[in-house]
Amino acid sequence: MKYIKLMLVFLLVLGIGGCGPTPAPAAPTPSEATPVPPTATPVPPTAAPAAKENVFVYAHGPTFPDIDPSVSFSNDSVVMGNAYETLIFYNPPGSKEVLSPQLATSWESSEDGLTWTFHLRQGVKFHDGTDFNAEAVKYSVERTKTLGLGAAFIWDSVEEIKAIEDYTVEFKLKYAAPLDLIAASGYGAWMFSPTCVEAQGEKANEWFNQGHDCGSGPYTIESYERGRRLTMTRFDDYWGGWKEGQFNKVVFEIVVDPVVQQQMLEAGEASAAYGLPRVNLKTLDARDDVTVYINPSFQNLLGLFNMKKEPTNNKLVRQALSYAVPYQQIIEGVMLGQATQAYGPVPAGMWGHSKDLFQYTYDLDKAKKLLAEAGYPNGGFDLLLTYAVGDLDEQQVCELWRAEAAKLGINIECRGMEWEPQWDLAKSDPMKAQDILVFYWWPDYITPYTYLYNMFHCEEEILFNLGYYCNAEYDELIDRGNELAGTDRAEAERLFIEAQKILIEDAAAVFFYDLPNDHELRSDIKGYVDNPAYPHIIFVYKLWKE
Amino acid sequence: MLCKSRGDFFSTFLWEREGARGKERAIGEARMRKWEYIARRLVLAVLVLLSVSVITFIISRVVPSDPAARWVGPRPTKEQIAAARIKLGLDKPLYVQYFRYMGDLLHGDFGVSVESHQPILTDLKTYLPATLELVITGMVMAVVIGIPLGVLSGARKGSLLDHTSRLLAVAGVSMPTFWMGLLLQFFFFGRLQLLPLGGRVDKEISLYTPIQQITGFYVIDALLSGNWPALRSTLVHLILPAFTLGTYAIGLTIRMTRSTMVEVLEEKYITAARAMGIPERTILFRLALKNAVVPTLTVLALSFVYSLTGAILVEVIFAWPGLGNYVTRAILSLDFPVIMAVTLVVTVFYVLINLLLDILQTLLDPRVTLG
Repeated sequence: MKYIKLMLVFLLVLGIGGCGPTPAPAAPTPSEATPVPPTATPVPPTAAPAAKENVFVYAHGPTFPDIDPSVSFSNDSVVMGNAYETLIFYNPPGSKEVLSPQLATSWESSEDGLTWTFHLRQGVKFHDGTDFNAEAVKYSVERTKTLGLGAAFIWDSVEEIKAIEDYTVEFKLKYAAPLDLIAASGYGAWMFSPTCVEAQGEKANEWFNQGHDCGSGPYTIESYERGRRLTMTRFDDYWGGWKEGQFNKVVFEIVVDPVVQQQMLEAGEASAAYGLPRVNLKTLDARDDVTVYINPSFQNLLGLFNMKKEPTNNKLVRQALSYAVPYQQIIEGVMLGQATQAYGPVPAGMWGHSKDLFQYTYDLDKAKKLLAEAGYPNGGFDLLLTYAVGDLDEQQVCELWRAEAAKLGINIECRGMEWEPQWDLAKSDPMKAQDILVFYWWPDYITPYTYLYNMFHCEEEILFNLGYYCNAEYDELIDRGNELAGTDRAEAERLFIEAQKILIEDAAAVFFYDLPNDHELRSDIKGYVDNPAYPHIIFVYKLWKE
Repeated sequence: MLCKSRGDFFSTFLWEREGARGKERAIGEARMRKWEYIARRLVLAVLVLLSVSVITFIISRVVPSDPAARWVGPRPTKEQIAAARIKLGLDKPLYVQYFRYMGDLLHGDFGVSVESHQPILTDLKTYLPATLELVITGMVMAVVIGIPLGVLSGARKGSLLDHTSRLLAVAGVSMPTFWMGLLLQFFFFGRLQLLPLGGRVDKEISLYTPIQQITGFYVIDALLSGNWPALRSTLVHLILPAFTLGTYAIGLTIRMTRSTMVEVLEEKYITAARAMGIPERTILFRLALKNAVVPTLTVLALSFVYSLTGAILVEVIFAWPGLGNYVTRAILSLDFPVIMAVTLVVTVFYVLINLLLDILQTLLDPRVTLG
C-alpha cells in the first residue's frame, strides 16, 4: 500500500508538470494560446556584484552569424546598430523627414546623380580613440566592397571615393543611384576605424567575431560568448553625449525558444524581446509591466506565378487565382488581424507605396468568369505551390487558398520545402518548376526598387525573379525610377507606382499581406519607436528607464 | 584474502597451467596479442573515420544546397556567387575537393563555416568544452546517483527503495529529455525560483566578473582563476541541464548495477564473507560492487557518447552554447562543413571510447578474449 501511495505521489508530480510550458517552440495555431507558466520576479541564483547599473537585456532568438560590420547581413544587425553608425539615418514612417543626418551632417548630389558629396560630422571618435573623418568613410566602404560579402552589392554603383578634405568625401558613381538611401542602409553601410581594422591584418573578420568592434556608436562590445551572450558597455566619448537614465550596459541573451523568452520578459530578466508567439501578444499586453508594440514592417508575403508554364502563363488565370484568395480570412485567421492586405509589392510605410493601387478582393464569381474567359470554365488543372517548410503562416495561407481554389475546380498542392531546394527548383527549367512560389521579401536598403527589380525585372539567368516575369515597359519604368531616386524622388516614386500598376494588372504575383513587427518591452522602459528600416534593431541609446 | 584482484587471478591461472617458464612466455604472448589487437582496432578506427568522412562529404554535395550562395549571404548576386565558388574551391572536381578537405583535416583544419565565415576549429574549441562539461557532469551524476541506488536496490530486492529506484530507472530511460527539461524548468525556475532557466553562467558574471577563458570548461576556469561567484553560478547552471541529460544514463546505471548486483550477491564468496561477519557495507560496496561494476562501466561509456548527440535537445532547451546548439543551427542553415566536422568529432569520440572500453575490459576481465 505504501508503495502504491508513493507511486501515486510520483505520478501526481509528473501530472502537475502537464500544466507547464508547452514543449513546442514552433508557432502555435491561432485557436490555442501557448500557456506560459506564471512567474514572479525570481531572485537571481547568483548574487550580483555590488555595482548597480542600468542594464538593458534583449532576449534574442536568432544567433549572430557574423558581426563584422562589412559582412553583417542578418540578425546581427541588432549589434551593429548599437556599436556602429551610418552616414545617414532612415527615419521611422510618419517622421517629418525621410532621412536624418548621422555621421554626415549634410549631403548633396550632382544633377545627373553621378557625384555625391557628404559633409561629415566633426568631433566623432571611434572606440579605439581615433577620429572619424573622410579617410574612414573611404576605407569603410572600400573594405566592404572588396570583401564582397553580405550586402556589399549595395555599393555596386560606386566607382571611386575621394577624401576631398578631412571632413568632406566625394563618391563618383558608375550609374545614377540613390546614394543617400544606400548610405542609410542597415546592412553594409556601417562606418568603422581604419586603424582598428588594419591592426588585425588578415584576421580582422575572425577578430570581430571573437567579440570586438571598431565602431563609433554609443556602445562598444565588451564580451561575446558565441551562440549565447554578447555584452556591450557604453562608450563614454560618444559624440551624442550621455544623460541620466540611459542604459550603461546592453546584454543580448540568445534564447532560441520564444516561450522561454517570454518567461524571461515576464520575470523581468529581459528588458525586451521580439517575435513572441502571436497568440500570446494580447494577454501579454494586458500586463502592466510589459508593453507590446505592433507595427507594420517592410517585409511582405508574395506568391509569384510561373509566367512561362501553362496555365499560369495566362493572365486571366492568374487574375482568377488572385480573386480566389480569401484575404480577410487570412489576415484575421492566420495573422490575427495584425497584418494588412498588401497594395502591390511595395509595403506600406515605404516611399513608393500607394493606397491608390488596385487591390484584388476575394470574389469567386469574378474568378469563375475569368476562368471561363481563359478557357477553363470548370478549372480542371493542378498547380504546385511551394513554401518554406516549417513556416506555419505560409502553410495556412496556402491551405486557405487551396480550399477556395477547389471550389473553382483547381487543385493546389501545398508543398513545404527548405529554401535551397525551393530556390533551386525555381532556378531550374521553368517548365518543370513550381507554378506558384510563396516567399517573403525584405529590403536591403530602403527603396521600392529592391522589390520591383529583384522579383520582377527581366533576368537572363534567374536569381530572384522566380516567376520569370518579363515586361520591357515595366523594366524601363523602374530603371528610370532608380536613376532618379537620388535626384528627383517624387518623379521616381511616380514611375515606381506606374510600374506597380502594370504588375498588378498582369497579376504577376499574389500580394498577400505586409507583415507586422512585434516588439515587447518592459513598461518602465521609455523612448521606444519601431523603425522598420532597421528591423529588430533596438537603438538602446534612445531609451531610458523610468 | 577472500577475493583476489583480477590481475592475481589471471597470473595464478597462467602459473598453474604452464609453470614458471611458461608463465613468462604466456604473458609475452598475451602482450603481443594485446598490441596486435590494439593496432588492428586502430586501423579499423581509421577506416571507420574515412568511411564516415566519405559518406558525409558525398551527402553534403548531393543534398540540394549552394554553399557559395550561403557563404555570400541571404541575397547573393551572380558575381558574388561566382567569386565565392572559386574562393571555396567549389569549382574543382569532387574528388579534388575531397582530398583537399582531407589534407586540411590532417593539419587540424576543419574548414570554414559557410554561415559565419569562422574557422570551424575555433568554433569547436568554444563549443566542445561546453558540451563535454555538460556531458561529464551528467555522467558524474549517473555514477553518484545510479550506482549507489543500483547497489542498494539489488541488495534489498522487493523493498520500498528497490521499487522506487526501479521506477526512477524506468522513468529516466523512457522519459523524453525535452519533456524532462521543460518539467524541471517549470518547477525549479517557474515555481520554486531556485535554479536558472538556462545558459552557462549568469549575465551578472559576464558583466562584472567574467570568467577567464583557459580550458573552456567553466568550472575548471573559474577554479583556476579563483573566481568564486563565477564558480557558484556555473555549478548552479549545470544542475538542471546535466541532470536532464544524465537521466538516461542514471536510469541505465541503476538497472544494470541492480541486475548484476543481484547475480553477484548470490555468489559463494559473498556468502562466505557474510559468514565471516564482514560488515554489510563492505560486502556491498567493496566486494560485490567490484565484480558487478564492469557491465555498468560499459553502459556508462556508451551513454557518454550517446549523450554527445543527446545533448542537442537539452542544449536547445537550456540555451546551452555547446556543440548541440551549434550543429542544430548548422543543420537548419545547411552549413555542411560544420555538420561534417561535428559528425567527425562525434565519430572520433565514439570510436575511441569503444576502443578504450574493449581494451579496458580485456584488462579487467581475463575471460574476455581478444579477437
